[in-house]
Amino acid sequence: MDNKNALGRGIDTIQITKAREIHMQTVRSRMPQAVPVPTTQTDSMGPGNTTTNVAPQVGGCHIHRHRANNPNNPPCAHCGAVIIPAPKARFPAEDEPSITIGDWTISTRKKTILNSVEMEQWEEKLRGLALPEMIFGNSFVRVENKAHGFVMEFNALEALKAVKLEDSGIRVSYAHKWISSKKRNREKSADLQDTSLEIGHHYDWTYTTSYKGHFEGPSLKRDDQERIPIDKLSRPDPILFYDDMILFEDELADNGIGVLNVKVRVMNERLLVLSRFFLRVDGVLFRVYDTRLFVEFDENKLIREYKEHEDTYQNVLANKALKHVRDPKAMLRDSNWVASQLPLRKRECEVLQL
Amino acid sequence: MKLDETIALLKQGRHVPEETVYKLCQQSQELLMYEANVTRVDTPVTICGDIHGQLHDLLTLFEESGGIEKSRYIFLGDFVDRGFYSLESFLLLLCYKLRYPDRITMIRGNHETRQITKVYGFYDEIVRKYGNSNVWRYCCEVFDYLALGAIINESIFCVHGGLSPDVTTINQIRAIDRKQEVPHEGAMCDLLWSDPDDVETWSLSPRGAGFLFGKNEVDQFLHKNKFDLIARAHQLVMEGYKEMFGGGLVTVWSAPNYCYRCGNVAAVLTVDDQMDRNYTIFEAVPAQDDVGNAIIPTKKPQMDYFL
Repeated sequence: MDNKNALGRGIDTIQITKAREIHMQTVRSRMPQAVPVPTTQTDSMGPGNTTTNVAPQVGGCHIHRHRANNPNNPPCAHCGAVIIPAPKARFPAEDEPSITIGDWTISTRKKTILNSVEMEQWEEKLRGLALPEMIFGNSFVRVENKAHGFVMEFNALEALKAVKLEDSGIRVSYAHKWISSKKRNREKSADLQDTSLEIGHHYDWTYTTSYKGHFEGPSLKRDDQERIPIDKLSRPDPILFYDDMILFEDELADNGIGVLNVKVRVMNERLLVLSRFFLRVDGVLFRVYDTRLFVEFDENKLIREYKEHEDTYQNVLANKALKHVRDPKAMLRDSNWVASQLPLRKRECEVLQL
Repeated sequence: MKLDETIALLKQGRHVPEETVYKLCQQSQELLMYEANVTRVDTPVTICGDIHGQLHDLLTLFEESGGIEKSRYIFLGDFVDRGFYSLESFLLLLCYKLRYPDRITMIRGNHETRQITKVYGFYDEIVRKYGNSNVWRYCCEVFDYLALGAIINESIFCVHGGLSPDVTTINQIRAIDRKQEVPHEGAMCDLLWSDPDDVETWSLSPRGAGFLFGKNEVDQFLHKNKFDLIARAHQLVMEGYKEMFGGGLVTVWSAPNYCYRCGNVAAVLTVDDQMDRNYTIFEAVPAQDDVGNAIIPTKKPQMDYFL
């Protein structure tokens, strides 16, 4: 903080200095953390312990190539131009960090869960769906190419529209026991004769969604032969823009978890978005539905890959890897580990060449 | 055991020796053992919803609502799981209970069970803090003795979750043998788990277990027992509280910024001698103090090369 002008300027300067400090405190929390090198890659592209958060690397930053679009953005560690947003900054109250590289603009917004008024409006919009407990309904991740009029966005409303309004066929592990005991009680007591044991209204209470993000502009073409180039994404290229957010989450009345999470990372030449729906119904099943959006900026090429993974709880729990772990339940909460264990049930791939 | 010293330790979120926890749990059990399933409480009283291990917010709750030295409290359960300070939050309430037995009533929530705490954080927290699960076992034994409900001035029924089709009068709750792990079925289970909803009659949750009840059930229950209000917790509300069914039922939620990321406010409901309802709203403590020291150990958004 520059304090040398603080003296002699009276109260105004002090207030300004204080305001600057408050602003610094807010934005400091968004400064890039130490960036670990990829751990999933097998063949490292360079020395394994390369640190990417060192002072400006000459030539590594391409200052003329990317542009931060939000004046609140703090400088990035790579070149002093890009914001790395963080979710916990509560101030400014609304923030839409954004970055532009070539024709491509990536922006995100993170806000709190919906309030009761918004919830009521959403109930109207999503007729028949009992809403999940936490909806971060004003948050989104958006990838845009203005030159070609293409926008793809990931948000909670569209994701929930893809949840089926019919019987999911899935029941919690103790459902059978529960219902039979209720039936016995009903036979015993006349008071309970009129108690319904029918499901009030059907919807997919696991909130399983096949949402792949929604877009406007030129259509994607189906091509299942296409692959996302994992080798390029495994390079420890500096991450210029990163965000990670939950769109909705429900604890399934403490029977597990259903959560839709979106992450984005933007490098100098490409970006990757991962939208993951993770479901664990305790004692019953696991699902991981992943959508990956890949863009190679210079080629103006976009690939969207969708994968469904699913298996029973018992099969996952029987995994040998869990035998020697002190707390297997912790592994079952880790969607990355679970995803690596589940068999692939479905894969679709689409391409867009602008 | 010096209760006031333990209270001071807990308020700072500092380590409490295993032996102290053991004694605390033993004494609490002896005290709770003599409580009825449904305890009677006089006004004025402050009704508090889910806490979920958010110790710093629990301290705010007491500050904002008069404090245990001056006011009476009913806690509607879900003291543990999800937050980082489940143990400290629960023990602080037990200490208050031992220190001021007539000023605090603790009702069991659906998280006060062995099965749920194993999955949702309390068990992990204990193993992390003590290296073994003894303290978790002591606490679970206390859970088994917590009351199932409370009645304020013969007119407000307090419960964690909601109603049960097996329960039409309070005497039916009094008849339950509560000193056990919460079963997966039956009246005790329903009281801790069920939810109010916009339904015509009792209906089954699409999950295949658990009841939803509507305005009719609430009206009938209130009429039959000559009550004015059902106060319950169990469900997250962005505004901290939500009245339903023409004011016959209220959900009170007392964990602000739930899970350290929802951005909701919290509320407690104070009922005075005239049976007037006053809600006190409070916000979460900031994750950092003025000079940037962490108050709550938040997870920094760690950039990673996800694939």
